[in-house]
Amino acid sequence: MLKRIHRVTTVVSRIEQIDPRVKRFHLQDPGGWELPPFTAGAHIDIHLPSGLIRQYSLSGDPARDDTYTIAVQREEDGRGGSRELHDDVQVGDELLVSLPRNSFPIAADAAVTMVAGGIGITPFLSALPSLLASGRPFVLHYCAGSLDRASFVPMLQEMGLADRVRFHFSETGQRLDLARVIAGLDEDGHLYCCGPARMLEAIETQAGHLGERLHVEHFGIAAGVDPAYEVLLARSGQVVPVAPGQTMLQALRAADVHVPASCEGGVCLDCKCRWLEGTPIHRELTMPLDDRKEWITPCVSGSAGPRLTLDL
Amino acid sequence: MTFTGKVEGLHVTPRSFLPMRNMEKLQLIEGLGVEGDRHSINEAFHSDRPEEGRQITFFEAETLEALKRDHHIILKPEQHRRNVTTRGVPLNHLVGRRFRVGTCVVEATRLTTPCRHIEQITGLEIYEVLLHRAGLNAKIVKGGEIHLGDIIEPE
Repeated sequence: MLKRIHRVTTVVSRIEQIDPRVKRFHLQDPGGWELPPFTAGAHIDIHLPSGLIRQYSLSGDPARDDTYTIAVQREEDGRGGSRELHDDVQVGDELLVSLPRNSFPIAADAAVTMVAGGIGITPFLSALPSLLASGRPFVLHYCAGSLDRASFVPMLQEMGLADRVRFHFSETGQRLDLARVIAGLDEDGHLYCCGPARMLEAIETQAGHLGERLHVEHFGIAAGVDPAYEVLLARSGQVVPVAPGQTMLQALRAADVHVPASCEGGVCLDCKCRWLEGTPIHRELTMPLDDRKEWITPCVSGSAGPRLTLDL
Repeated sequence: MTFTGKVEGLHVTPRSFLPMRNMEKLQLIEGLGVEGDRHSINEAFHSDRPEEGRQITFFEAETLEALKRDHHIILKPEQHRRNVTTRGVPLNHLVGRRFRVGTCVVEATRLTTPCRHIEQITGLEIYEVLLHRAGLNAKIVKGGEIHLGDIIEPE
């Protein structure tokens, strides 16, 4: 059972309907105190009243220390978090959130090129105020199927970005020319991308040679279905069967093995466990490749063989 | 034991995780805690494990200087998450003793142990370097108002 004192307590101070599909929620301390600071690109876990935990990028200005702002696109066919926020959460409601974490920090001393797909614009919204203030070179490519699916065009137009924001709408044939964007990067320029999986795959394929100058932020969930296998817990000797369609995390829970978990989508890495033997199938979205040699996230990952041994 | 130290910083926050504000003065409530601070209203990270001896907490300014000098870690007074930053007070030697802070009196109960919680909040790897010097917990024996610059000395 989650205790209030073990999370940051916020109340919903304002809700903006940006367009028919997107709402912005402004969260503040119940007494108006400053909130724990965050940096551009950071995200928080939101603990929903139903018990669901979802990650959202902070899209407000980090210089504003009393408000966390998240933009939530309602996903009719999603896992339920965005529907609950849209349909059930009201101004004045209390929401427990995590401390901000940043797996997508914006480099402080290089030219910045940002590519946003749809609601993937959100982490960049928190970066724009300081980029503008610093005078550093940057450009933001905002891609969407059509103008009416690009929720933040009016806000960006009001920010005085001029030609530092470029809009790309596939409906009108203005698709982003990714190869041209990559070819146009400065020698030490960094490329940041956040958007749907298909976009990120394309960018990772085409811009993989950038190495540490390429940064991608995934959202959504990783998924996969494995045939049945079993997990051997090395410390206790317990063997836990994992049924087809069941996640390793679900199987561990069913066997009363407690593994802390949060996003259950292969993003936050809260549930990562050390694996010792077997052939894991890694489906985490955010774990560095080197770490996979030692760790696995049971929320989304599986086993290629009949048995996987964990250090539990 | 003789010493004469002073209050160099006063800090308070109403809930776990929230930044601490620097204050000019604090109101100490006998047998309870610091007015408005999370420990006095069961809003602290550890409030599910209540402890009578954690009504007010102290931290040495000299430790902040040692972290900078020896480990190049800049920890600001409002980041150590204790209520009072002291100078010239041998906190580790005061367990079980009473001492005056301005016109108030406190009784030290135990050394504060660092916890990983502070690393999450500050983003600094400081757990290990704070071992044995993470401050002092105390009960408030005589309440009142304490101010920046107040003298700290044995009762």
